[in-house]
Amino acid sequence: MLEFLGLALLAAVLSGNLCGAIGFYVQRLRITTLSFSVAHAALAGASIGLILNFDPVYSAMIVAVASALILGMIFARIEYGRELISMAVFSASSAVAIFAIYMSNVRVLATASIAVVLWGSLLAITVEKLILLLLTLFMFILYIIAYRIQIDSMLYDVKMAEAEGVNVQMHMLIMLFFAGLIISSSLRLTGGFLVFTLLYNPVAASFQISRKAHLQLLASSILGAASASFGLLVSYTLDWPVGATIAIVSSIILLSAYMMKVLVEAFRRRCLSRP
Amino acid sequence: MHFSKEVVKLRDVWVAYSGSDRPAMCNINLTVPLGKLVLITGPNGAGKTTLIETCLGLLKPYRGSAYLFGVDTRSWRIRHARRMCGFVPQDFMKPPFEAYTVRHVIRLGFAPYKSIFESLTEDEDRRIRRVSELLEIEDLLDRPIGTLSGGQQQRAVIARALVRKPRALFLDEPFSSLDREGRRLISRVVREYVRAEDASVIIVSHDVNPIIDYADIVVRMENGRIVSGEGYA
Repeated sequence: MLEFLGLALLAAVLSGNLCGAIGFYVQRLRITTLSFSVAHAALAGASIGLILNFDPVYSAMIVAVASALILGMIFARIEYGRELISMAVFSASSAVAIFAIYMSNVRVLATASIAVVLWGSLLAITVEKLILLLLTLFMFILYIIAYRIQIDSMLYDVKMAEAEGVNVQMHMLIMLFFAGLIISSSLRLTGGFLVFTLLYNPVAASFQISRKAHLQLLASSILGAASASFGLLVSYTLDWPVGATIAIVSSIILLSAYMMKVLVEAFRRRCLSRP
Repeated sequence: MHFSKEVVKLRDVWVAYSGSDRPAMCNINLTVPLGKLVLITGPNGAGKTTLIETCLGLLKPYRGSAYLFGVDTRSWRIRHARRMCGFVPQDFMKPPFEAYTVRHVIRLGFAPYKSIFESLTEDEDRRIRRVSELLEIEDLLDRPIGTLSGGQQQRAVIARALVRKPRALFLDEPFSSLDREGRRLISRVVREYVRAEDASVIIVSHDVNPIIDYADIVVRMENGRIVSGEGYA
């Protein structure tokens, strides 16, 4: 049992870490709504996997990565209406997910396969999925190190980077590709409806903690890992659904970071106003 | 890769923003050869920024053709042409929490020339020091850019454009945050750069005083049209 919990905990740390890191880039590059659509495309892919009797993680991965690349290519060619397309894809993906679940042979919502797709499951973590997460982490770190200066240039000012000749379109596509990969790899832990909380809450909390980009990235990754692992432990202890517990923990961390920032600012202002 | 000696060539270019019922630029014809200082002037809303962004391919024409160093701005090769350009946008100001140091911001100008895992060379570091001395910001190199005044930030962004040794420099309202001394300095640096490097500089400015005496071509825009200096005719 301990071995199984250790496996799940390791997967939680890796998933949280990856989601926190990609969340930081998605937020800074202002492709949040796009990643929101990709997250829901992953959910639709996982649900389609249920109908086809295919591993939901792999079907989620195929659909998420494909939708990320297609949306990225469309967005590179249009200047306006991106939000509209993102929201249309989000709505359509959610509908496809519900239809696919309805049409699958699984009759009861509490069955393990549905649980994996909708709200995540501890039982779904296997060594194979852990290796997949490790591989994703390795590829992501390699990419970030290899193109550090180009990515930094985009984080500072996308328009300037593009005007200077940085291949902004390619890097946006790669980021979306990783977003699709990371979201679908983390689906087993948090479930399709809550995976984006791991993508957005840690980075939002990191923005409350630091103003420096590299510290924000570090904080976002650490807070993502902390939310996922602590949420998993609470879920195991209290027998709560794992995805929802992780979402609650990450929301508590975000609110605490915000409250802390408000208090620190108030204290600083009070000190400044003293004669 | 072969590039044309014409920095910019616009042929019957029309540009519109989505949702707008009138084009931001109508029927523009303009050619900018190498080694010239071009001043684009006109009142607010005349289409000056639209023109500079169209030249760089950041905005695409819905009618007509735009070329940068002979490369159609719609082509994927435009990225290579942009590597020969420096750009200072109008909205260069960063908020107080922006923590990138001035040195790092200038370094980022080298990003498009770097291959994977490649870091900065000593020569590039020397160039950063030289340009920052030229623009009198050498004491600010290790300060976070967000903590600087508008004028200091503007000099830092101009330094980033200059370290790239561009064949064409596009400056959108480069005097907007500078005091008289700063304007004089930037005008002198730009003029000397055109002479020394045989490069072109395209300056968009509603305030013509600091640079008009040095301009080879003056283009005046109103309501999205060129009213004088069209076509570098």
